Amino acid sequence: MKKLATLALAMVLAGVLGKAALAAPPADTLAEVKKKGVLVAGVKDSLPPFGYIDEKSRTIVGYDIDFINAIAKKLGVKAELKPVTSASRMPQLQEGNIDIIAATMTKNPERAKQIDFSHTYFFTGQKFITKKGAVRSLKDLEGKKIGTAKGSTSEQNVKKAIPSSTVLSFDDYPQAFLALQQGKVAAVTTDEAILAGILAKAPNKAQFEIPNLQISDEPYGLGMRKGDKNFVDFVNKTILEMEKSGEAKKIFEKWFGPTTQFHLQRNFKITADK
Amino acid sequence: MDAIFNFQVITDNFTYFMIGRFPHGPLGGLGLTIYLAVVSCILSFFGGLVLGLLSLVRNPFISYPVNLFINAVRGLPLLMVIFWMYFLLPALMGRTVPESQTVIMGLTLFTSAYMSQIVRAGIEGIPPGQTEAAISTGLKHWQVMLYIVLPQGLRNMIPSFVNQFVSLIKDTSLAFIVGVSELTHVATQVNNRTMAYPTEIFIFIAVLYFFLCYAFTSLSRWLEQRLAWRKAI
Amino acid sequence: MLTYQFDWSVVTSGKYFEWLVSGFMVTLKLSVVGIILAFIVGLLIAVMRMSHFRPVRWFALAYLEFFRNTPLLVQIFFWYFGSYKILPQAVNDWLNSTNFEFAAAVIALTIYTSAFIAEDIRSGVLSIPKEQMEAARSAGFSYLRSMQYIILPQAVRITVPPLVNQFLNLAKNSSLAMTIGVMELTYQARQVESYTFKGFEAFTAATIVYLVLSTSITALVHLYDKRVLNPSRAV
Repeated sequence: MKKLATLALAMVLAGVLGKAALAAPPADTLAEVKKKGVLVAGVKDSLPPFGYIDEKSRTIVGYDIDFINAIAKKLGVKAELKPVTSASRMPQLQEGNIDIIAATMTKNPERAKQIDFSHTYFFTGQKFITKKGAVRSLKDLEGKKIGTAKGSTSEQNVKKAIPSSTVLSFDDYPQAFLALQQGKVAAVTTDEAILAGILAKAPNKAQFEIPNLQISDEPYGLGMRKGDKNFVDFVNKTILEMEKSGEAKKIFEKWFGPTTQFHLQRNFKITADK
Repeated sequence: MDAIFNFQVITDNFTYFMIGRFPHGPLGGLGLTIYLAVVSCILSFFGGLVLGLLSLVRNPFISYPVNLFINAVRGLPLLMVIFWMYFLLPALMGRTVPESQTVIMGLTLFTSAYMSQIVRAGIEGIPPGQTEAAISTGLKHWQVMLYIVLPQGLRNMIPSFVNQFVSLIKDTSLAFIVGVSELTHVATQVNNRTMAYPTEIFIFIAVLYFFLCYAFTSLSRWLEQRLAWRKAI
Repeated sequence: MLTYQFDWSVVTSGKYFEWLVSGFMVTLKLSVVGIILAFIVGLLIAVMRMSHFRPVRWFALAYLEFFRNTPLLVQIFFWYFGSYKILPQAVNDWLNSTNFEFAAAVIALTIYTSAFIAEDIRSGVLSIPKEQMEAARSAGFSYLRSMQYIILPQAVRITVPPLVNQFLNLAKNSSLAMTIGVMELTYQARQVESYTFKGFEAFTAATIVYLVLSTSITALVHLYDKRVLNPSRAV
């Protein structure tokens, strides 16, 4: 009897959830943000150089953050940064806790059903970080443990690319890398730019490498709520202008260029999709 | 070889461990841990009181669902309760809810269910003779509860309340999972950034939590003895 | 306007249903292995706590206080990530070749829970009249033997209901193992959410499983309470 009643309670709970749809975030974010005077952005806070806490100033800085600041400046509002994880960023956006996602988010068709993406503002591909000389081809990773982050495309891609591997998902990539350092996983997989960022900061980087094995293309987009056309158009217009004025390139050079530890080539330009 | 441990990482990030991004950003670290625990504790005191009293009401249409609710919450992991809050709060409030509030509500709901049991035990521990005597003097039922039973019951509950507060301090670490930058979250951030000192960092915060919790555990024991001694004379 | 389409089929059949079932099995495994080990360690600590030899008593006390007063989550992180520097390399290599995520979670859950169990057992022992110990000692039993044959068997019987509660706590606490990649029930519910965006359904399914588990075990305790501890009140 008691068990039944508990079940009934769970059902009622589920019924209440049906009303979840009523919590409507603003339909026109552009107008709403202007009214509030703040643009709330979901960003990563421990993923150099996209978004991380600067030790001295104790504030969040990075490539993603510079784009948010540029958009906020164009809007004439303040930018407020909210740390999100790969798993929490989409619910956060849909529930209206944040206005925009700038958190190393890959554009893919499944996600595009739930939210709208801006044009690609960063382009990279999914690779692996491994102990030096340990991995020559994908075969070397068969049956091994591979670390990555919960809720990321990396997790889903690697399961497809190497089905025999065991994928261990952590809350974020650096934790997965720590597991690699301690020999708990054979490789960490995610986008090359993130791997380069982790490797550059690693205390014993000489022992690791990023073999030239790419399993997918990863175009990053800024995420906005589905159907929020005015805002998407505004953001797209802004980042296209940033490309034209050279500001986008300057931000890339600032975080990834020859003066940094990464030395990445900018092999993309921000252009209108399709 | 160098020393095995290198606690430099702690001193370098000490301010960050204590207060997070404050004052340039929101409060974090140990400061936020204490804030979350204190606010949730105050709220769950009232939550527990209300649930506890309702669960004792003689009308089964009230007490039965309340007891069911209490048992359901107690049957779930706190993590689940927090995830539910994540979904439910925006739906119920009709607006967006920041994560720290989500966590406070999750902790409050969870702890209220446990506090209600303390309240219940405290009330049932007062001899029924007192209620009967009070009623025979012409007081109404709710007056007896409010003026006679509760004040005595609450005093006996104080040590258990303090114990719940200790549990709350420990439970705030779960806020980490939804991205609230309390002590555990801040520690994993520093751990992620430095990637070389997990042992030092986790020992440091474990000790920090320990001192905080142990202080209150000792307080609770001291109160218990004092109350027992008062009762003895 | 957002509208949410319910799709219960996601969690009642197919691949995602299997994920949830396997998550439940891991939760169960964590809980059962954890409670057995926690009981053994807890018993040991309880005996040490009542020892007449001071250093032993102090060690047990320090163990109890430290592990009860630090968050389980921090302990899990410590055992998984932090133990690396303390252990010899050979041990680390061996641990890493096993399913260390699971082992670290079991270690953390065992130690955390054992500290609570030790106190439960101790109060069980304290509720046994002192005269029994005195009688046993005067009958020629050593301290340890009196504990083993006279005191503990009775204390453990009294301690069963609180022990079952600790088992439930352990089962609930095992959800924290998801943070180090142990694929238990909560982890799988979150996985289903991130693959299907059907969070409500996934979490409802997990919630029902947790509730069925805890209500049925609580019911068993009530039964034990009635039949074994207070048989006179049995119906």
